[in-house]
Amino acid sequence: MSESGANHKFAFYLGCIAPNRYPGVESASIKAMKKLGVELVPLKGASCCPAPGAFGSIDLAVFYAMAARNLVLAEQMKMDIALVCNGCYKSIWEVNHKLKHNKDLRDAVNEVLKEVDMEYKGTINVYHTAELLYNDKFIGVDKVRDSVTNPLTGARIAVHYGCHLVKPHKDREFEKEVMLNTEHPTWMEELVSALGATPVEYRNKMQCCGAGGGVRGYDIVHALDITNEKLINLQEEKVDALTDICPFCQLQFDRGQIEIQEKFGVTYNLPVLHFAELLGLAQGMSPQDLGLDLHGISCEPFLQKVL
Amino acid sequence: MARIKGYPEALEKKLHDQKFYADDSNPEFTKSVKSISRTIPHMCYQCGTCTGSCPSAPRSTYRIRKFMRRVVLGLENEALTDPDLWLCTTCYSCADRCPRDIIPTDVIMSMRNLAFKRDIVPVNFLKTVTAIYASGHGVPNNDVNRAAREKLGLTRDPPTTHMYPEYMPGIRKIIDHYNLKANADRIIKEREG
Repeated sequence: MSESGANHKFAFYLGCIAPNRYPGVESASIKAMKKLGVELVPLKGASCCPAPGAFGSIDLAVFYAMAARNLVLAEQMKMDIALVCNGCYKSIWEVNHKLKHNKDLRDAVNEVLKEVDMEYKGTINVYHTAELLYNDKFIGVDKVRDSVTNPLTGARIAVHYGCHLVKPHKDREFEKEVMLNTEHPTWMEELVSALGATPVEYRNKMQCCGAGGGVRGYDIVHALDITNEKLINLQEEKVDALTDICPFCQLQFDRGQIEIQEKFGVTYNLPVLHFAELLGLAQGMSPQDLGLDLHGISCEPFLQKVL
Repeated sequence: MARIKGYPEALEKKLHDQKFYADDSNPEFTKSVKSISRTIPHMCYQCGTCTGSCPSAPRSTYRIRKFMRRVVLGLENEALTDPDLWLCTTCYSCADRCPRDIIPTDVIMSMRNLAFKRDIVPVNFLKTVTAIYASGHGVPNNDVNRAAREKLGLTRDPPTTHMYPEYMPGIRKIIDHYNLKANADRIIKEREG
């Protein structure tokens, strides 16, 4: 495959929280991936995935049909989907997988899609950008390391994997087998090391952020209490930043810290960055280019360490 | 097949004692949960690994093992009217650890679906539906974010339904096919006036 230009093209499925709350994740993903030979093309007219917890809890049949509509948009472009959010992965990847393997579901969905002149055919695949970065079939850790111009040396960074990219692992079909380990995975830590930073392990790393399943909306104190437990465990390890691969987890950890301050009176001031933002920084993008000023918790202490 | 004399009667008597009888048990509920969840709740042997893995359990009365038992016993009312049903963060830790290869999270999801059919549903879930019906997004854009996007060299609205509202009628048609928006509006109005 040629080294110049884009080796891979994907329809870039944005979701809601990345473009509408953390637009830096969107711009950093497009720019950073381009440097790594992956072109992200806008998926015009995409909607919410829809939210697997909040929407799926109401009616899974509608959930399948709505996710299928997003899939059909990419099928019409004849492109695989790349996305930046675990929640979107759960909806878009899992519905794609379910529809490909269950004729009854596919028929039911297509009956509805017919009303809007669409048909789900099952011709594309869905990938999370973290998976593209890790899998050397697309990019791989070595290429990520080679693209770094501003190594994040000295920064202690912990990883929040989130839930819906890797769990339930029984249903997932990653080409890289290490991604199927959901008890103690370390593939994201490899990516953090590739940026020059020091990955840090902490207690109960794989615990949920607390926001999913509609719980953030249903019982915010309950959701924040789960987040708070993770923050306590992170504080013990004196990390400089937490990195995630899900804008919804990012929202829960970032804006959540402000809510935790209000409701529980505890302050952490832990910068929370999507891995795309981290990658952008390591490739020489400025904090302004990444919109880091939009974060609820200031990234300054972390930035001073790495810039 | 030859049997030891007297054994079938003894077995019959023993099983009879162990059968579950309850007026509020609905076997249809067990079947519905199984078909919507597309997993195998009846295989649960109540080991409790699910509750032990659950991030919601230590901070509430939510016990997923209890819900699994309710499914097997057909205790529809008890399961669907329990407010703890909505405390699952859908983290799937229980699914990853279940020694019976059940996906308890999907069992919870299917029970939530069944609860909604009886108008038992917290309003915040319905508001996600109405938000998506209005703009295509569960978390829509706002002016502060539009300005920030512009500074980053992005379009003020993302190239989703926000930038191409012509896709909205199709989305509304899909949601209306299931009468979801009308039901959501009706329940929100009943609760909030």
